[in-house]
Amino acid sequence: MAVRTSRFTETLTDGRTALWAAAGVLLLVLQFGALANFVVGLGIDAILALPGVDSVGFLTSLENAIQSIPTLLSRETVPNQGYYDGSGYEGTFLGLAPAMAWALRAALIYLYAFAALGWVVWGLRIYRQEHRAADWTPRDDMLNRFRGHKWGIFGLVIVFMFVTMAVFAPALGPTTVDQNMRNSYGHEISYWDSDTQSVEEVVVGQANLNSLSVGNDQNVGLWTYDDYGRFHPFGTMQNGRDLFTFLAVGSRISLVIGVLSVALSASIAASLALTSAYYKGRIDLGMVLVSDAVMAMPQLLLLIMLTTVLRETWISDVYSGGFLLALIFAFTGWTYMWRSIRGPALQISEREWIDAARSFGQTPLTIMRKHMLPYVTGYLLIYGSMTLGGAIISIAGLSFLGLGVQPPTPEWGRAINLGQDYVRTGSWHISLIPGILITLVVTGFNALGDGIRDAIDPQSDSAGGETAGAGGGA
Amino acid sequence: MSDTLLSVENLRTVFHTDKETIRAVDGVSFDVQRGETVGLVGESGSGKSVTARSVLGLVEEPGVIEEGSIQFRGDELVGGNWDEHRGDIAIVFQDPMNSLNPVYTVGNQIKEALRIHQDLRGQEATDAAIELLEDVGIPDAARRVSEYPHQFSGGMRQRAVIAIALACDPDLLVCDEPTTALDVTIQAQILELLDDLQREENLGVLFITHDMGVIEETTDRVNVMYAGEFVESAPVDELFDNPRHPYTRGLLASIPGRTAGDERLPTIEGEVPTSTSGPTSCRFAPRCPHAFDDCEQVHPERIDVGDGTVDHEAACLLYDDRFEESAPEEKFADDGGERA
Repeated sequence: MAVRTSRFTETLTDGRTALWAAAGVLLLVLQFGALANFVVGLGIDAILALPGVDSVGFLTSLENAIQSIPTLLSRETVPNQGYYDGSGYEGTFLGLAPAMAWALRAALIYLYAFAALGWVVWGLRIYRQEHRAADWTPRDDMLNRFRGHKWGIFGLVIVFMFVTMAVFAPALGPTTVDQNMRNSYGHEISYWDSDTQSVEEVVVGQANLNSLSVGNDQNVGLWTYDDYGRFHPFGTMQNGRDLFTFLAVGSRISLVIGVLSVALSASIAASLALTSAYYKGRIDLGMVLVSDAVMAMPQLLLLIMLTTVLRETWISDVYSGGFLLALIFAFTGWTYMWRSIRGPALQISEREWIDAARSFGQTPLTIMRKHMLPYVTGYLLIYGSMTLGGAIISIAGLSFLGLGVQPPTPEWGRAINLGQDYVRTGSWHISLIPGILITLVVTGFNALGDGIRDAIDPQSDSAGGETAGAGGGA
Repeated sequence: MSDTLLSVENLRTVFHTDKETIRAVDGVSFDVQRGETVGLVGESGSGKSVTARSVLGLVEEPGVIEEGSIQFRGDELVGGNWDEHRGDIAIVFQDPMNSLNPVYTVGNQIKEALRIHQDLRGQEATDAAIELLEDVGIPDAARRVSEYPHQFSGGMRQRAVIAIALACDPDLLVCDEPTTALDVTIQAQILELLDDLQREENLGVLFITHDMGVIEETTDRVNVMYAGEFVESAPVDELFDNPRHPYTRGLLASIPGRTAGDERLPTIEGEVPTSTSGPTSCRFAPRCPHAFDDCEQVHPERIDVGDGTVDHEAACLLYDDRFEESAPEEKFADDGGERA
């Protein structure tokens, strides 16, 4: 223990590392309230999901306490919802126009996200240069190869921006889901009525009805204000709701379902692939049969059937049906990943260090985890990234058909569906913007997968990769 | 026979393929005593490695030990009882690049074995790993212990592999061509190291190689393997001075420098056959310079061919009184048989 403590203090007193740690603390402090809020909120949701629990008084008061902690990237710190009172803007950040205030907040959020990413990369570099015992490991080459892979970097940036959108969804939208969609008749806003030259009050639901985007006659398009002085970066939907808020919150559900289903199917695929590669023979054959049987099921029909059959059950209510979707995707999707990983796993199982470990009595589970898994994680990343894009398309496709995630929970596919009548009119943005975003995000995930694949495979070394392995001889 | 570590009796390991059943090891018997080195020699495909893997219980599907017994200190291992003796038998593989996992440090891999067999963890295990690396002659072990296999040279890697084997504190060490992937000077060092370790720890060693020179240097007793069978077994000096089986003679004749004055090195024509069915003839007969008619009809059994003072067996009809040698063809121009 003594050795460990001294090493820790040494780490902190070392200049660069201390600076890095300080930057980390600063980044954390700026958003501490949001983080704590998220954790507590998650806990409350989890407890409320248990049958028989109706209220969590203690946690609710804790949540309220936490919500009073100021955070930098919140609607409260940089508000954009205000009104014009004849001489200037009331209630917006520094009296800026709502569009400017919103743009500032969005810019701050992305700045923060990229700063956090940069901080991680910086930390990795410090670790590599100062704290790691080995001066080179094969992972270094992979990272260097990825760094020179423009298509992969493009994918990473897109995916990162999408994830940022999902994570900061509540703060990113110009308005909130609760105020603008779920409970629009329970909120009032003030606005500047140019006819009466005075500030008036209106219920949000009523304001929405007067801000529809339904073709050339009535349209609130991109980057415009509606009659109530509300700013809509992506315009409004056919029911007058704010499209950007809808998409920001919708990105969250797409990401959660996507990640959950891919994580589930990846863990099923990996454990089955390692088992069949380790034991081979009959066990392998049995798994081939099982996966063939699962592959033979038509995924879309199964999805439609299960969502209909399970409509009234509790499981279809978890996360607006998203959890059920994730389970179905995982159950039908693991086979493809299993097939892709089985090959590399079989190759690895032939290596002599597996026999060496077996000869000295290592347990099969540890051999799979320690001596085989590291060699297939790369493949898991590649196929996971690509499957994630596919899952997002499938989720959107189901919502487009009116299945899957239940309204009024925002989902990208539903926006496309809602706007399809107006594609040829001035209100084209309702369908087109979510469509473009889906394409972009899925392309991003595929590009990221390509980048990871090329980074992991040393044989794909391009011209720029020549210098990467230079440190290997030491 | 007081201190017998390993006793293999009539071992048959077969591989079931779609078309046929291949008998990779077919009726092999041998013992390894404490402190003794038993050699297993033969050309590629003769079943040496499968014998080693059978002894360690590493035969995988579609392979299976079909018959025979493998006893370690009197305990029967065939039938899945290897787990009780894991660590008592350790193996050193041919290619040190392949038997070390490149993503873990050398120390990590030694500690993995230490943890299982000596229940050492943390700093204690690191110290033990450093000590083991020193024992196998790696300089600057304290620093080397946290290096990756790619930072080691070939000879050092094989030393590290031996250190892992020793971490199990074995009684029997199986060396499956441990020097084949190394160059000659490194090979000599590794052989010397194995020799030292064997004497220090009083290990039994099963030494597998195709190199007759290495056999002569390291082993006490030699079994010559051909197509899954032992064709000749003898103490090393007896085998080299007085080889009886034509295959052994062929092997010895093909060592450079042993056949003086010859321009061309004698070779044994042909390849090792794949045995798919029970023995009905001598498997070496098609390549044998002394083969006669009966060799195609009768499977030779191991008989004593020694002079009474040494334990020397060979499976060849030439030495079986029941069969008469008739019209042998001379395939080797000048083989070891003349001198025998």
